[in-house]
Amino acid sequence: MAGAAGPQLQLHGERTSGQDVRQQNATAVLAVANILKTSLGPVGLDKMMVDDIGDVTITNDGATILKLLEVEHPAAKILVELAELQDQEVGDGTTSVVIVAAELLKRANELVRAKIHPTSIIGGYRLAMREACKYLQERLAIPTSALGAETLMAAAKTAMSSKIVGADSDFFGRLVVDAVTAVRSEDEFTGRVRYPVSAINILKAHGKSARDSRMLDGYALNLGRAAQGMPKSVKKVRIACLDMNLQKARMLFGVQVLVTDPKELELIRQREVDITRERIQKIIDAGANVILTTKGIDDTALKYFVEAGAIAARRVPKDDLRRVAKATGASIVMTLADMEGNETFDPANLGSAEEVVEESVADNDMLMIRGPKNTRAVTVLLRGANDYLLDEMDRSLHDAFCIVKRVLESGEVVPGGGAVEGALSVYLENFATTLGSREQMAIAEFADALLIIPKTLAVNAAKDATELVARLRAFHYTAQSKEGKEELARSGLDLVGGEIRDNIAAGVVEPALSKLKILQFATEAAITILRIDDLIRLEPEPQEGEE
Amino acid sequence: MMQAPVTVLQANTKRDTGKKAQYGNIMAGKAVADIVRTTLGPRAMLKMLLDANGGIVLTNDGNAILREIDVSHPAAKSIIELSRTQDEEVGDGTTSVIILAGEMLASAEPFLERNLHPTTIIRGYVRALEDAVRIVDDISFPIDTNNRQQMLNIVNSCIGTKFTMRFGSLIAELALDAVQTITVDHGEGRREIDIKKYAKVEKIPGGAIEDSRVLRGVMFEKDVVVPARMRRKVHNPRILLLDCPLEYKKGENQTNVELMREEDWAALLKMEEEWIQKTCEQIASFKPDLVITEKGLSDLAAHYLVKAGISAIRRLRKTDNNRIARACGATIVSRPDEIRESDIGTGAGLFEVRKIGDEFYTFIVDCKEPKACSIVLRGASKDVLNEVERNLHDAMGVARNVCIDPRLVPGGGAVEMAVSRGLSERANSGAVEGVEQGPYRAVGQALEVIPRTLAQNCGANVIRTLTKLRAKHAEEPDCTFGIDGNSGQIVDMKELGVWEPYQVKVQTVKTSVEAATLLLRIDDIVSGLKKRDKLAPGQSSKPQMDDGENVDSERMLAE
Repeated sequence: MAGAAGPQLQLHGERTSGQDVRQQNATAVLAVANILKTSLGPVGLDKMMVDDIGDVTITNDGATILKLLEVEHPAAKILVELAELQDQEVGDGTTSVVIVAAELLKRANELVRAKIHPTSIIGGYRLAMREACKYLQERLAIPTSALGAETLMAAAKTAMSSKIVGADSDFFGRLVVDAVTAVRSEDEFTGRVRYPVSAINILKAHGKSARDSRMLDGYALNLGRAAQGMPKSVKKVRIACLDMNLQKARMLFGVQVLVTDPKELELIRQREVDITRERIQKIIDAGANVILTTKGIDDTALKYFVEAGAIAARRVPKDDLRRVAKATGASIVMTLADMEGNETFDPANLGSAEEVVEESVADNDMLMIRGPKNTRAVTVLLRGANDYLLDEMDRSLHDAFCIVKRVLESGEVVPGGGAVEGALSVYLENFATTLGSREQMAIAEFADALLIIPKTLAVNAAKDATELVARLRAFHYTAQSKEGKEELARSGLDLVGGEIRDNIAAGVVEPALSKLKILQFATEAAITILRIDDLIRLEPEPQEGEE
Repeated sequence: MMQAPVTVLQANTKRDTGKKAQYGNIMAGKAVADIVRTTLGPRAMLKMLLDANGGIVLTNDGNAILREIDVSHPAAKSIIELSRTQDEEVGDGTTSVIILAGEMLASAEPFLERNLHPTTIIRGYVRALEDAVRIVDDISFPIDTNNRQQMLNIVNSCIGTKFTMRFGSLIAELALDAVQTITVDHGEGRREIDIKKYAKVEKIPGGAIEDSRVLRGVMFEKDVVVPARMRRKVHNPRILLLDCPLEYKKGENQTNVELMREEDWAALLKMEEEWIQKTCEQIASFKPDLVITEKGLSDLAAHYLVKAGISAIRRLRKTDNNRIARACGATIVSRPDEIRESDIGTGAGLFEVRKIGDEFYTFIVDCKEPKACSIVLRGASKDVLNEVERNLHDAMGVARNVCIDPRLVPGGGAVEMAVSRGLSERANSGAVEGVEQGPYRAVGQALEVIPRTLAQNCGANVIRTLTKLRAKHAEEPDCTFGIDGNSGQIVDMKELGVWEPYQVKVQTVKTSVEAATLLLRIDDIVSGLKKRDKLAPGQSSKPQMDDGENVDSERMLAE
């Protein structure tokens, strides 16, 4: 047999397995985390991404950076997806989740090299994660009701502190809180209070300065009236949302009409124009005085709207139309045809609002829909020096919206600035010593890994990370071991002064949910990558006909 | 990394991190500012740019220059965007904003060298911006927009830096007339001034610039359809505006005609004729003197209209049609069978087709209440006219801003010096504590770049003039001394009559500081990323990183 065996498995590609692949994965994941590291925390900095056409994006948001980075390594890609997941679920904390996951993986890799089987590590991590979540919910989370109204502001400001708008966080914090509380809506059936962030429309117009951004009451469409003869404002609005053409009617594809008398040709043409007119007339007769359509309206047809004193807008983006329909209680109409084959427009399809006005902002016109019937919609108009700045402001505000929404909906916050990580680390270490199995090692490493957040924060702020983190842990140890010192559990880092302080009092808070998800997602991602012990990369099949 | 390299990112991406990225951005900002530096002030020089197609742009408008320049450094792009923002928002000050932004970045450099954290610098900058705006608020004073002489002075001083200054107050008067013509008062202090839609600049090469004027109505380059047989001059015309074709139109559905009998063909043709005849009769029944359509007009229709004694113009642009409608009070009609008497415009005093040079131009002028206007510019060559148009655009922007927000600040670098003094005073009085104080002061000093550049451009002794000016401001707070950009002397701007609109100044400061803070926050530049959708082959695969030196004006213009 010897020598003649050859490879049993014919592979058209590369295969890496065992410790090699683990090492590779850990390196790749760490490399990704290292890219993000400097953007964490209130003194983190931004990244500038340039694509091959030269388009520039300037951002501090972890998910955005990773999305644009085009990561190639398969394990690193998992992290990119992880950041996206966090972005969708919570909206903030994308950077933290990646950093934690990478740290967990790095430490797991070292454990494996110390001859501990990956499944033991996985088990340990799982257990640690569950314990951490339990502890966080039971002991660290503080209901907002106990903290007063300023909590919301504090949460918004914390979320924005690391972003470009951080210098103006008082101003934008107020803006964000106002916007989110303005869209409060109650579910009719369950009575649950919701804060749909999607009801907040963000419009960007360059010019003026960031501080001239403002909140507008109502939903703004970034387009003007279709014709200048239309009125600039309409009160007691009945709004029709159409998803159809109001152009000259044309036959469906493949339909032929045969006429023998040339006179009838003229009639057909006449009819084409009349059909549109009748349609418009039906819509107007139903009581509509604002008509929005995603498709076109013929110039010739605009006159009817002008005569009826109605505002019509064409080429409304479909997303906008959907939101308008939802806010005003309108239903989007695709066709006027009814079951009998006639064309009618049911007034029930109309939505209502108090007022629609055209206003001009900077160089553009926009239609404001004020006081829609169902939900209150607000628009945040961002101003700023140039488009890159506006885009980044948009992303930052979106994160802040999500955070405020989470705080409002879940009603629980935790102190920020590394406080939670410090507390959990101390707690888990104690917990690990109570276990007599090999999971103990993994849990201890998990506890250590969490410290990466306060460490990175301190490093970014150019502080002595080792000393600060040691002091932080000491505070939390006292809080957990001594009776009557529970207040110290709120201790976190003060990154400007380089001290430990009560971060709840200092107004650095995060929604408990956000931290919880960071722990869960990061652990899951680390476990997923950890389970891999074989990487097979196939060569692409040679294309047919290619020499 | 302990073993074989693991490729995480794509091979062709390039990363600049930390200090290198920060200095790169600052260099880029400075380089862009250097390009336009010489175009500031009354002693400004023009730039001649050759674009890729060999066309020439001759200008000293900051926005126009930078628009043509192709830069590769991403930060430089971001800076160039600023001048576009400025142009759209206020229409003037495009050069100052670039110079100021470059200076703001440059003054952050020493702090970075001293290892100050960028976020600290930014905090200082933002606080300084707040205070600076407050100081400008205090300095500004309102004026009466109805006082023509005063308005004229303002507009004049703002465009005094431009090519057209040698023609005296001509451009200022044009701008003022145009803006006043199109102003619509909504009451309650709300005014609508839409230059983009209702004031059109028409350039006709030939003649002298002094022949330029603002029409009480609209002008466009078109002739009547049948010049020989239609009237080309009508007093108090009745005007009908259409946006539908006056020719037999094809239906929306495709039509195939198969004919078996010869008579049918004749019937078809006859139908077309009858349709046109009917339409023309409908039009004629309202007795218009002039019919203007945005679409086509067939020979046959022209024939009927000639017979009815109606002049016709076809294929007018939509925007022109809107302006005519506003000028003479007509409504644009889309179906001839729906014309009503109220749709006819009767506000115009004269319709006339005139031949200027080789082309025919239609004038609809002497309108009773023209809420839209055309501005006719004459001049020696097309390039000159283009530059005059840009100047006029700036002037109209200034006039509009003053009409909307009638507050002024002294020009000639006076307001910058006052802000600079105010900021350093606040810093001295201990209003700003800690390390932020340095950047806070730096903003004040950066603002001095405007008077410094003014002095530089007119050849004055920069250091002597600037120290003198600084001393002047230190002695008497609230003084309005600045630099006379022609002589390089220190003069009271009140006496010289050099003013700038408050809006322009504040916008300049805000934009430049915000742009600087945006760029200072960057510590990592990743370039060479692929767009998701594939590009056409042949396009450069990755932008190169310039290290500043390459963003040199000469090199780029040489192409």
